[in-house]
Amino acid sequence: MKKLIVSVLFIVIGLFAVDRLGGMLMWWVNQHTHDVSGPKIKYLVNDVNEDILLMGTSRCDLHYVPSVISDTLGLTVYNGGINASENIYSHYIILNHILAIHKPKVICLEVMDNDVMMQSDPFCATAFFAPYFGRNERADSVFLLAGSYWKYRISHLYRYNAKAVSNIAGLVISRHEGGENGYIPFPKPVHYPDSMVYRKTQHLVDSLKLEYVQRFINLCKENGVGLIFMVSPMYTEIDANHYDVLKSIAKRNDIPFLDYHSDGLYHDHPEYFLDNDHLWDKGAKKYSSVFAHDLKKLINKK
Amino acid sequence: MLFNSIPFLLFFPTVCVLYFLIPAIHVRTRNMLLLIASYYFYMNWEPAYALLLLTSTILTYVSAFGIGHFEDNRIKKTCLICSIILNLAILFLFKYYNFLSSNVMMAMHSCGIGMELPKFALLLPVGISFYTFQALGYSIDVYRGVTKVERDFFTYALFVSFFPQLVAGPIERSNNLLPQFKQQHRFCYESFMTGVRLMVWGYFMKLVLADRCSLYVDAIFNNVDKQNGGSYLVASLLFPFQIYGDFAGYSLIAIGVAQVLGFSLMENFRRPYFACSIGEFWNRWHISLSTWFKDYVYIPLGGNRVGRLHNYFNLLVTFVVSGIWHGANWTFLCWGTLHGLLLCIEKALGISKKQYSGAKKFCHWLVTFILVCLAWILFRANSISDAVTIITGIFTNLEPPKPEYANFIAIALAMAILLTKECSEEFRRKIRIAESVSWVLRHLYLIMMIAYIILFGVLGGDQFIYFQF
Repeated sequence: MKKLIVSVLFIVIGLFAVDRLGGMLMWWVNQHTHDVSGPKIKYLVNDVNEDILLMGTSRCDLHYVPSVISDTLGLTVYNGGINASENIYSHYIILNHILAIHKPKVICLEVMDNDVMMQSDPFCATAFFAPYFGRNERADSVFLLAGSYWKYRISHLYRYNAKAVSNIAGLVISRHEGGENGYIPFPKPVHYPDSMVYRKTQHLVDSLKLEYVQRFINLCKENGVGLIFMVSPMYTEIDANHYDVLKSIAKRNDIPFLDYHSDGLYHDHPEYFLDNDHLWDKGAKKYSSVFAHDLKKLINKK
Repeated sequence: MLFNSIPFLLFFPTVCVLYFLIPAIHVRTRNMLLLIASYYFYMNWEPAYALLLLTSTILTYVSAFGIGHFEDNRIKKTCLICSIILNLAILFLFKYYNFLSSNVMMAMHSCGIGMELPKFALLLPVGISFYTFQALGYSIDVYRGVTKVERDFFTYALFVSFFPQLVAGPIERSNNLLPQFKQQHRFCYESFMTGVRLMVWGYFMKLVLADRCSLYVDAIFNNVDKQNGGSYLVASLLFPFQIYGDFAGYSLIAIGVAQVLGFSLMENFRRPYFACSIGEFWNRWHISLSTWFKDYVYIPLGGNRVGRLHNYFNLLVTFVVSGIWHGANWTFLCWGTLHGLLLCIEKALGISKKQYSGAKKFCHWLVTFILVCLAWILFRANSISDAVTIITGIFTNLEPPKPEYANFIAIALAMAILLTKECSEEFRRKIRIAESVSWVLRHLYLIMMIAYIILFGVLGGDQFIYFQF
């Protein structure tokens, strides 16, 4: 039994040391990687200083060309859309980090069903932000909900689990070629979407997500940041009431809601899309100029 | 309770501490503790299904008791047949009834007969195929006189429900495991640490290799219509490693857990992808199941002590049954049948008996590996039509695959580690770190492997593939 105690102690102490050293090494990797989302999150957490900040998932990441919007508005713009960030929990985490260092004039949040509807694993994408665990109490509160708070407290190495390989690969392969202010143009796809699919309206609303949408709104209000919700074009058919839940939240909080999807923008242009949900660079540039004019009107109105 | 879950990482050390706190001479008390722990472990999935486990235990216990009690061979045989029929009936109801009824209805409808059979909304109880086969094996062994009747019900119940191997094997033989429940297992440091090392390697195979592969494989196999041949090919080459990492990983964790407690379970995998024939593959893959089918299906059918054609028939039947054992789907049936046919061809050509070396051995290995991979497509595909789409796609639409560089790098790293270990074992080269004579090196191995799993493992608590069987 004495041997076992020595072994256990050796393993526990050794593991602790490796975990802390590994955590430090992975932090360095995370701060120097050139993969897709790592540098963007780093910029948002540490350096963001633009007037207009666009937030959302891959649909934001791929659809908004900052230079086009900036030229129209005469304001600085950053595309903070994070691929696969999934829903409002991720947006809430990143918003807390941003507001700790900078108050943008306007935040434009690209909303989607996932922001309010039930999902089987709603917290899956929160792990992307784990490297910044311990820096912002309100952001960390989401990890408590996700059940990962104590895991991140115990293990520093585990904080890098979600993106370890892509972070390391990003040290040697840069995936930022041709990027500007958070936007990386997606090249012309081999095939455009061949048919418009029908997206059924979901009705199972997640009350916790609703609460976090409200928290997101309140946080912007408290910090004097203007907020706009928008839904960019999709090559899908939907019912007229598809975004009713999100629209009612926007209405209740006096937030402008720009719905290009329900309006059927580009439904006659499948060549702008890389798949049913995303535009490629050509579509993004066209759409950004439409969006920029609408945004300008809204800002001038305010 | 999954082995790769936080509750298990709390449950197992607790059981371990309590087990070793009870003095080794109190075998019965220790067994009671393990029995309670095993039922608790099982009831974490669906408490009601513990009743099925208990039913299967009682049925086989009573029948074995009858076999041991009565002198008359006809009564012994009746007891055995009753045990087999009742156990298989439960298995049939929960696993195969809906599949059979829907196929019968479909066949009737196609003949213009409008027939409706009732359907049951039953969840498949985890591990039912495993514990049913283990319990049936015991009944048959008692009938054959290979094993003595276990009169202590609680010891027998522990044999059926022993938590390390309850839900996905290895399917233990009564003459190996039952006697171990009578022995005094004093704490042994070496055995304990060997068990821990096996567990850690099992977790590596599951979390770093299998679950990483599954991210790609599932995306392709579950969306067959939207992929090209290149993606099919990559997914088809990754799935063999996913299922190996998943199942061999589970088995190793199970063997390791048992070893920590002082029990020795049978080996379930022996580097199967080094096999140079399909026959050899089945001597290395899921050994506990293939030997079960050999002992309780193939040999009773006559085995190879019959005419050539009869022998082929026996092989085919055994593998068709093995396919069905894996699940109620035509894909499993075709997978089993294909393996049976390949074995028959090997037998006819006399391949399995020959020993090869050099280039010939390499060619045999390559052909075997390709055939096994091809068969795995049938196993993994959601339907036969999906499997056909995938196989034809590989040969007709070979475009660059869907790129997932980060995943590919992680998989390549894990495969390199696996290959290094397996090559050193297969070719008896001396790269022994886990079992090094140096105490420090052995412990550093454990530390580095755990850190590697924490950093690169897919730690979402995914199910093990074989739980569905």
